[in-house]
Amino acid sequence: MKDKIFGVLQRVGRSFMLPIAILPIAGVLLGIASSLTNTTTLEAYHLTAIFGEGTILNALLVVMNDVANVIFDNLPLLFAVGVALGMAKKEKEVAALAAVIAFFVMHSAISACLTVSGKVLADGSLAPNVLSGTITSVCGIQSLQVGVFGGVIVGIGVAALHNKFYKIQLPNALSFFGGTRFVPIISTVVYMFVGILLYFVWPTVQNGIYALGGLVTGSGYLGTLIFGLVKRALIPFGLHHVFYMPFWQTAVGGTMEVAGQVVEGGQNIFFAQLADSANIAHFSADATRYFSGEFIFMIFGLPGAALAMYHCAKPEKKKEAGGLLLSAALASMFTGITEPIEFSFLFVAPVLFGVQVILAGSAYMIAHMLNIAVGLTFSGGLIDLFFFGILQGNSKTSWLLIIPVGIVYFILYYVSFRFLITKFNFKTPGREDDDEETKLYTKADVNARREAAKASGSAGGGDAVSALITQGLGGKKNISDVDCCATRLRITVFDSSLVDDGILKSTGASGVIHKGTGVQVVYGPNVTVVKSNLEDYLESPASDAPVTVTAPASVKKEAKAAKSVNASVYSPMKGKVITLEAVADGVFSEGMLGQGAAVEPEDGKVYAPFDGEVQMVYETKHALGLMSNDGVELLIHIGLDTVQLGGKNFDIKVKDGQKIKKGDLLAIADLEGIKKAGYRTVTPVIVTNSDDFSEIKQVKEGSGSAGDKIITVK
Amino acid sequence: MKSFNYVITDEVGIHARPAGLLVKAVKALSSTVVIKSGAKSADASKLMAVMGLGVKKGTEVTVEVTGENEAADAVEVENFFKNNL
Repeated sequence: MKDKIFGVLQRVGRSFMLPIAILPIAGVLLGIASSLTNTTTLEAYHLTAIFGEGTILNALLVVMNDVANVIFDNLPLLFAVGVALGMAKKEKEVAALAAVIAFFVMHSAISACLTVSGKVLADGSLAPNVLSGTITSVCGIQSLQVGVFGGVIVGIGVAALHNKFYKIQLPNALSFFGGTRFVPIISTVVYMFVGILLYFVWPTVQNGIYALGGLVTGSGYLGTLIFGLVKRALIPFGLHHVFYMPFWQTAVGGTMEVAGQVVEGGQNIFFAQLADSANIAHFSADATRYFSGEFIFMIFGLPGAALAMYHCAKPEKKKEAGGLLLSAALASMFTGITEPIEFSFLFVAPVLFGVQVILAGSAYMIAHMLNIAVGLTFSGGLIDLFFFGILQGNSKTSWLLIIPVGIVYFILYYVSFRFLITKFNFKTPGREDDDEETKLYTKADVNARREAAKASGSAGGGDAVSALITQGLGGKKNISDVDCCATRLRITVFDSSLVDDGILKSTGASGVIHKGTGVQVVYGPNVTVVKSNLEDYLESPASDAPVTVTAPASVKKEAKAAKSVNASVYSPMKGKVITLEAVADGVFSEGMLGQGAAVEPEDGKVYAPFDGEVQMVYETKHALGLMSNDGVELLIHIGLDTVQLGGKNFDIKVKDGQKIKKGDLLAIADLEGIKKAGYRTVTPVIVTNSDDFSEIKQVKEGSGSAGDKIITVK
Repeated sequence: MKSFNYVITDEVGIHARPAGLLVKAVKALSSTVVIKSGAKSADASKLMAVMGLGVKKGTEVTVEVTGENEAADAVEVENFFKNNL
């Protein structure tokens, strides 16, 4: 269960990466543009002539600002599409389209409910009793402020609907609407109701978050701490807007008389004071307590956490992890965008996120206590520190204090992250499991395979590699879905015990990571090629052949050449063992299918006759194909001509590709039922690859029980 | 490579009895014979693989014969299908 949750979280986390990748550039555009178009800033620095309204640079900045804003404003939509894309197993483009539709449907449903109930007036304006910040315009639709959370529930839900229905078959008359076309249809219906549901449920959530604000106001430093903790805890879920905006923008965050005017909200007070800075001795830290602390952990703290994760990465993975962590740390330092770094540990180690919330939350309080009053337009990165701290001078902002406090926080983050990661062995980037003990091949083997893989890869085929990967993953039937991130192939399998790390590594992978049914194979940046080759291979008929065919025959032959086989087959059922001749049935008695023996069963339970794996369960359930670890292919055919029963009277307990141990229960046959239907229950046990061995001998005759040795193979 | 399509008429499809005969017949030939049914394919000299195709009555299969004697072998395999399947 836990592993399954991890699997889902892993997919959600990865799905976030696509929309998140756009944020740093949008952040830089917004950071620069909003700072240089802020008239109070310009007046304060006498830059109006260069950047003031009407100048070309101003026009450019306005464009930059709007471009960046459109990204941030529509982040919920981007998340809806990104998550649906990332979570959909196949036909991803359909899931993306359905997500867009569902997103608009959901918000339109909410909007209609708001209008019907009179919260949004006929002219589109809000009713006066609506709580500020709870209703917003989503792509022109007046809807509840659901934030990124709204996008995520659309993405996850649509992906779930998509994965369930994209192959649906409808009755002939409606068949046009079947398959992938059904996905947007069902999404529309479902999200209409989700929207209605949100209309009733969401205001409660909003009121709850809003009520948290009551804890903050009027309670000095402690209030600042609570504000910081709550804001940081809400950020990954995108729910922080309804919480912090009142403090930044309304009287909830305090009122102050600046230059003869009453100004409401922490951010507004700061900018009012900035405009009037000639008359201000020191900016009010009571106003900036809602954001000044962010500089401390965004510029210093989180990069410390990133460094700790880098140092904790395994040596062979440092390079890869370093690239990810460095760019995430830089995004946090310069633009104050913390999501990339937070998401890198949030899902794999929620405890670390708890640490981050506490440390970051306390930073708000420390800044408040130290009277640090640096404003910001957007977030606490170096860009804003430069404009609203450094340029304002230390005497008005006390920005220099950020540096020593920041260094302390850097150390705090570094030490606590490093300690917790090593203590609890958290799988932060570069620390994923890399199990070497399953290595089955000698170095020479691996090199030979790698050369072979390269050769066939450069020949344009790449199929040998894909075939090997498929084999390493336990065969095509074991693969649930295939995806990749920057450097890894990410696969979900049905049975992780079938995954062979040795084979996977021989395909050029530098590491294999298991998490329940999730498997990650690290290939490096060329992984996208590996992935598309693998997908093509999996769609080609070659991959559909049973494992006997897919598995390179050479492997089996090598095994045989290397050691003389000395294998045994044990009786799968209780009952009298007879020779195949005694079965008196053409096909089996003549040895047409191979040599072996037969059992007249007294009990319908069928047990594994050796250690090995299930190669196939026939559709009609009356026969099992097995392969022993020594390479013996065995057919257990329960009854004669029982294919005619079409599966009735048979209960198979195993599935294709499953590993079995001698004595495992494979199937239960209703012997009485078979007899009543008019068939014999005698069960031939046949080595179907008899030609591969020099001798197959029946070593027992007469009554016995399951587990008795009946055949030897040499 | 020679190939032909064939619609299975045997009541139970390619199952144990005919499959055993087929594998035996194919092993006697020098060519490689591959049977394709839908997206699946199997080496006709391997009993497990052939039975694993789960080919039922009325299914059309494609049979590919490759080798030095493929022309003659293909005729032989086709005759086998007509007589037994």
